[in-house]
Amino acid sequence: MDEEYDAIVLGTGLKECILSGMLSVSGKKVLHIDRNKYYGGESASITPLEELFAKFNAPAPDETYGRGRDWNVDLIPKFLMANGLLVKLLIHTGVTRYLEFKSIEGSYVYKGGKISKVPVDQKEALASDLMGMFEKRRFRNFLIYVQDFQEEDAKTWKDFDPSTANMQSLYDKFGLDRNTQDFTGHALALYLDDGYLQQPAIQTIRRIKLYSDSLAKYGKSPYLYPMYGLGELPQGFARLSAIYGGTYMLDKPIDEIVLSEDGKVVGVRSGNEVAKCKQVYCDPSYVPERVHKKGQVIRCICLLDHPIANTKDALSTQIIIPQKQVGRHFDIYVSVVSYTHQVAAKGWFIAMVSTTVETNDPESEIKPGLDLLGPIRQKFISISDYYEPIDLGSQSQIFISESYDATTHFETTCLDVLKIYKRGTGEDFDFSKVKVELGEEDQ
Amino acid sequence: MATNRSGAAQRPNGAPQTKVCQFKLVLLGESAVGKSSLVLRFVKGQFHEYQESTIGAAFLTQTVCLDDTTVKFEIWDTAGQERYHSLAPMYYRGAQAAIVVYDITNQDTFGRAKNWVKELQRQASPSIVIALAGNKSDLAAKRMVEFEEAQAYADENGLLFMETSAKTAMNVNDIFLAIANKLPKSEGAGAAGAGGARRLADGEQPRPSSCCK
Repeated sequence: MDEEYDAIVLGTGLKECILSGMLSVSGKKVLHIDRNKYYGGESASITPLEELFAKFNAPAPDETYGRGRDWNVDLIPKFLMANGLLVKLLIHTGVTRYLEFKSIEGSYVYKGGKISKVPVDQKEALASDLMGMFEKRRFRNFLIYVQDFQEEDAKTWKDFDPSTANMQSLYDKFGLDRNTQDFTGHALALYLDDGYLQQPAIQTIRRIKLYSDSLAKYGKSPYLYPMYGLGELPQGFARLSAIYGGTYMLDKPIDEIVLSEDGKVVGVRSGNEVAKCKQVYCDPSYVPERVHKKGQVIRCICLLDHPIANTKDALSTQIIIPQKQVGRHFDIYVSVVSYTHQVAAKGWFIAMVSTTVETNDPESEIKPGLDLLGPIRQKFISISDYYEPIDLGSQSQIFISESYDATTHFETTCLDVLKIYKRGTGEDFDFSKVKVELGEEDQ
Repeated sequence: MATNRSGAAQRPNGAPQTKVCQFKLVLLGESAVGKSSLVLRFVKGQFHEYQESTIGAAFLTQTVCLDDTTVKFEIWDTAGQERYHSLAPMYYRGAQAAIVVYDITNQDTFGRAKNWVKELQRQASPSIVIALAGNKSDLAAKRMVEFEEAQAYADENGLLFMETSAKTAMNVNDIFLAIANKLPKSEGAGAAGAGGARRLADGEQPRPSSCCK
């Protein structure tokens, strides 16, 4: 440990592992440390099942849960958009070779107390009970507009300037009703709240395009999920970092981040050892005095021995409860994965209900989500603070990631990583630095 | 120095429908025992006296053609993550074969090799095929681990065992060939991943799995 590094990365959550990989690939000498003896931090998948029960102080699971080692339970639920940033990072860095994925079978949206499938093609759209007949036609015109829309070709904007006009006015232009707006903004554009209505329409158009491009990749839904759980993702990027020379130490407590007189980081101390460095990259838990609390996220892990009603027994699904449907400010998300992803014993399902906390009684906030699940065998609730750094790190050279938010996918995760990389190195990440021959891919 | 390279990287001449099985093979062992060198010798026929620790040989493939089957190894190197005991569970996941390497001139590395075998028995699939490689056999003059001692340990634990030299290529192809022979090649064996899972690629299509490259 007593060496000098360009960068020391603290914590092996997904964001830190991607950063570590990017820094190593860029030729930086990296030391990557975690205080835990496992990879993943907050974005680990907990295994065996006994470990999860112990973590939440519950009595050990009985034999109906099968072999504990067959379980890998995520603490933070998210899916990958098939055409999203994380998939691009995985492919460009070659990390995808270490992983296998399955498509999420279906995406559902909550309306008037029941759930409907988010239509994925014309046929499903025509049969959908989400809209009336005339509304379907208006919605179709809207979708065609978005599909044909090209940012660089003003002709396709059809007398509407999406960089100045807001999204509400685009909805109004097509005469879409409240329900369709809800479903479009929350189940397709995946906004957490309604703030986007007043923002330039271009942002929402991009998001809807991401959704449909992702959908076009594998058909069933725009979402992917890795076999053995999300905890595989940080491990994959850690391996990338190691291949490019990164040094890994787990189970290593961090006692101090050593600063110079002018407040710039010069090293990291563990016990009597000090590793020198020019920069530190870390998650908020390593620097409590350098972050502030922005809000809270509630997540409820539910173990089920049956699929969710009205999803055609899907082995994986996402259900979005748009805020207005249940009189809230933020959406509620339900994600379901199962034994088919090697994250649960045969016959078992893991549902996660989550949302951004907005009252003093967060548990009752997620009730509309829990009510969709049917009988729940075991429930684990966690309420986590959401932190962001107090500064950009330009003086201290300590670059801190934000906590994982309540969004259902990794787009904001990747954006945070790319921003931090730019803050730390002064440049955008150059994918061409990843040498193809390193992988010796045989095809 | 002329070693038998039969079996490695040959096309199945004219054989129209050779069965192809793909297997994940992981390397384990103390730093500097020659893990990367063994792979480099096997896959590329090369040897570098001063191999840097942690090279890019982190994901290599090589095929071995048996009588009726082509065995394709997907070989994982530790990328140095063994040094501070920070190998990720992902490394062992789904591995169907492992080579545990020690250095015959260093008794400590043999002790460490035994620990890696235990680790594999604990973490990896129960049906994993494990081979023990006593590397650097070209340095027999400085030998600290007796052949018989290692052989006895391998027999007790049901491991394949050979002394190898990445430098002279002795037994390098042979140990991979021995593993290939021992691996079960039933229908669907070695098919990467459980039903319906896919790897992501730019070109979109999941990797083909039906021809000897």
